[in-house]
Amino acid sequence: MNAPAYNFAYLNEQTKRMIRRAILKAIAVPGYQVPFASREMPMPYGWGTGGVQVTASVLTPDDRLKVIDQGADDTTNAVSIRKFFVKTAGVATTERTEEATIIQTRHRIPETPLTADQILVFQVPIPEPLRFLEPRETETRKMHALEEYGVMHVKLYEDIAQFGEIATTYAYPAKVADRYVFDPSPIPKFDNPKLDDCPALQLFGAGREKRIYAIPPHTKVKSLDFEDHPFEVQRWNEPCALCGSRTSFLDEIVIDDKGARMFVCSDTDFCAKQRDGR
Amino acid sequence: MSEQGFTDAAVEAAHAFRAIMQAMARPGMPVPLEVKLQAPHPLDPASAAVALTLCDFQTPLWLSPMMATEAVAHYLRFHTGAPLVEEREGAHFAFLSASEETPALSLFSQGTHEYPDRSATLVIQAATFNTRDVVLSGPGIKGTTGFGVAGLSQRFWSAMAENHAHFPIGIDVIFAAQGRIAALPRSTRVVLQETV
Ligand SMILES: [Zn+2]
Repeated sequence: MNAPAYNFAYLNEQTKRMIRRAILKAIAVPGYQVPFASREMPMPYGWGTGGVQVTASVLTPDDRLKVIDQGADDTTNAVSIRKFFVKTAGVATTERTEEATIIQTRHRIPETPLTADQILVFQVPIPEPLRFLEPRETETRKMHALEEYGVMHVKLYEDIAQFGEIATTYAYPAKVADRYVFDPSPIPKFDNPKLDDCPALQLFGAGREKRIYAIPPHTKVKSLDFEDHPFEVQRWNEPCALCGSRTSFLDEIVIDDKGARMFVCSDTDFCAKQRDGR
Repeated sequence: MSEQGFTDAAVEAAHAFRAIMQAMARPGMPVPLEVKLQAPHPLDPASAAVALTLCDFQTPLWLSPMMATEAVAHYLRFHTGAPLVEEREGAHFAFLSASEETPALSLFSQGTHEYPDRSATLVIQAATFNTRDVVLSGPGIKGTTGFGVAGLSQRFWSAMAENHAHFPIGIDVIFAAQGRIAALPRSTRVVLQETV
């Protein structure tokens, strides 16, 4: 018998306890960024070390894990994270959203509606939505404490004055349970409505910035907007060229060396499902 | 047969944590927490599992008068490495029983508005859950849900309603009853049932 050289899911028990305590606080205070002592992982920052630590701390051997990057299961990043957990935790994996019990994601929420039996883990590069307006942590912490989110609205309104609409299309800020403004990670704003009243628990891990936050199931998540400029998602004039879906988020891809382009689903599992009639 | 902790710590703690996390994410919904460990009387095995899953040298524990037996203190110290403290305000976790009078919740660490996570978690063990004492709503709950814990008084539920009123600071509670746990985080709105 080959005894593994590391603990179940790589992290030692003390690290997992610390992260698990942070996750519980994050759930108890939805949208608040809980500091945690992020550990070095055997992969570079930017590869989702925050998400990996959260996933490692919530996994059990009974789980079936799906990992997506930009909606696809077969990118280098997604494949390496999946392999990491197969090797360190022996978990089953899947590419099918409906079969997964835990989905770790970078940059998308699956198109297939999530269920109460699933957990969505987001990899987050910059957890603080106020950071580009206020670089000092002591100040942003105070702003969250006092619910001083006026600057955020000013920034969005400047967009409207300048571009006639809110120019932010990714990492679009939203308010959780009428209290904390949070950064939903660089998902397209197309995915923001899926955060709201979602039956699944949503956990967010930022490794470099050492923050964990959460949205419990069935929690109100309201994208910031204005009465005269209500929040709107991206739309496309054409359906997915592969499956014909008119409801999914589309990526523009180059299909030949003459530069011809087409629009296809970014969620590759959803697209395959539509084509197979699953 | 003496008291014992987890036999396969990594896997048992992983399963226990998933139950605790599900409970915290769905306030008022009892979740099975099956454990193989042997805890000394009067520590409920589910309470013991919460301790072994979440507590260590970084989390001072406070034991209520009923829970503070020599056997329980020794068991928790031995299996978690956590220091036991006399003062409630220094505790990260507190272990209590529903059958004794609950101390004022405000005496436990509430966190600050800058760091609401620096607050205590109470683990209260009881005989059973019911759906009659209070009506809960808020994050994690679709609509409303009825909840209750045998032995806890109206005063306790009023204190929990007050705890929510101070959100985002406040305490979170994990209840343990006969192989099941349920939770009541500070984010949950608590309304007392009007029935007598
Ligand atoms: Zn498609």
